Amino acid sequence: MRDYASPGVAIVAVGAILVAGVYVLAVLDRLLGMIVAGTSIRLGALLAEPVQSGALLVLQERRTTERPDAAGWALAPALFGGLAAVALAMVPLDRDIVAADPATGFVVFSAAIAMVMIAIYLHGWSPNSAFALHGAYRYGAQALSFQIPFLLAMLATALPAESLSIVDIVDAQKSVWNVVREPAGLPLYLVVGVAVSFWGPLNLPDAADLAGGTVVEDSGLDRLLWKGARAAMLVAVAAMGAAVFLGGWWGPWLPGPAWVVLKTVALLVVLLASGHLLARVRIEQFVFVSWVLLIPLALLNVFVSGALLL
Amino acid sequence: MNGLITDGVFWLFAVGSVVTAFRVFRTDSMMRAAFFLLASFAGVGGILALLGAEFLGMVLILMMAGEMLVMAIVMVMFMMNPAGLNPMWMVHQHRVAVVAGAGSFLALASLPFVVDLPDRPAPRPEEATAELGTELLGGSMLVFQTAGVTLLSAMIGAVVIAHRNGRFGEAEQGSLEPALEPPGEEKG
Repeated sequence: MRDYASPGVAIVAVGAILVAGVYVLAVLDRLLGMIVAGTSIRLGALLAEPVQSGALLVLQERRTTERPDAAGWALAPALFGGLAAVALAMVPLDRDIVAADPATGFVVFSAAIAMVMIAIYLHGWSPNSAFALHGAYRYGAQALSFQIPFLLAMLATALPAESLSIVDIVDAQKSVWNVVREPAGLPLYLVVGVAVSFWGPLNLPDAADLAGGTVVEDSGLDRLLWKGARAAMLVAVAAMGAAVFLGGWWGPWLPGPAWVVLKTVALLVVLLASGHLLARVRIEQFVFVSWVLLIPLALLNVFVSGALLL
Repeated sequence: MNGLITDGVFWLFAVGSVVTAFRVFRTDSMMRAAFFLLASFAGVGGILALLGAEFLGMVLILMMAGEMLVMAIVMVMFMMNPAGLNPMWMVHQHRVAVVAGAGSFLALASLPFVVDLPDRPAPRPEEATAELGTELLGGSMLVFQTAGVTLLSAMIGAVVIAHRNGRFGEAEQGSLEPALEPPGEEKG
């Protein structure tokens, strides 16, 4: 039998880590913005700002549209946040500290990423609003394009471990991290990771050119929950990247969990920096690059990783 | 205690699957029908995982997410029904549908009573996954590879048919069919 934490412990721990992760992400994002813009950094304001803007959203009035699908609208942020929690639950902090380590952890994580497109489509479709629906269709095209390179990039990391369990995948990186073994894997994963949480250059469904896209009709608590869920997903993607490409808990001097946190924050900085340094990509360009460049590259990555193991 | 939780989760998935499957036909919008169908499949995926077929259960959920989204978008495109929000009936030929639905439900539900099911404890999930892999790439390899290549060629065919570059130029350019004799005037 593989490792499972008891349900109560797992739910509380994953929830707490997600909330902390979202806060760290919000602070990091603002800090990177200040560094890129060259403005002076005031630490107190920086640390208080995410809490203040969150509190402002809680106090704001919620609004509704004409004949929305109310159930779907309410369910979408919950589904998105829940999927982020499922994805994060698969990431081990250490060999024996993990919320759940099913034999098919890789497939569970992939299923969570695949269901994200349902959450976003539901969120864009349910308010019965044109711009929100445009955003939903954009994410449909985006998600169907990144699904395959995403699965292939992660699949290559399961080859050296000869297992679909994330703990086994991390364990197999004791001598060489996958980022060295498969140089194309991490860049592919990061591009797709930005697309999964539609951050920065790949924020097409919630883009400013659609007046906010799927969040255009959200206000107050709805908007806060949606933004929180989206940030949580980015945290989960970064944590999984740290586990399967950067060797998870392996590292000298520090204890395992500290390494996992450090590596996750490092990947988060890279993912967040893309939002401040790169211009937004058009959806046609992203779809073209995904199918013509990323899929062949990801296939090549799998073939080379497989051939090296033979 | 553990068995009680498992039983509770099973009934949650089982009743949830049946209720959402029923809602697929009682709802008035194609998008809602697609979401209900996905919820029903997710419940079946959960039951498969409970039965020890973790891999199959998770792959079912993984595949169905993309499948339902594509299905819903294509349905909306063909029905000229913006966003699938216009109310519509999800069932045609009601009497036939009721008889066929009830008949197949009864036939399937009677199976456990008439078939002598094997009494074998379920293998552990990792063994089940390994067995599945051995089956796919061992005994049944020819069947699955044949099906795989057939599906791949169908996909390539669909991409070619859907491509905007037709025989007479790009679709969005309003191209004209050429004349029957080579140096003649274009039809149009």
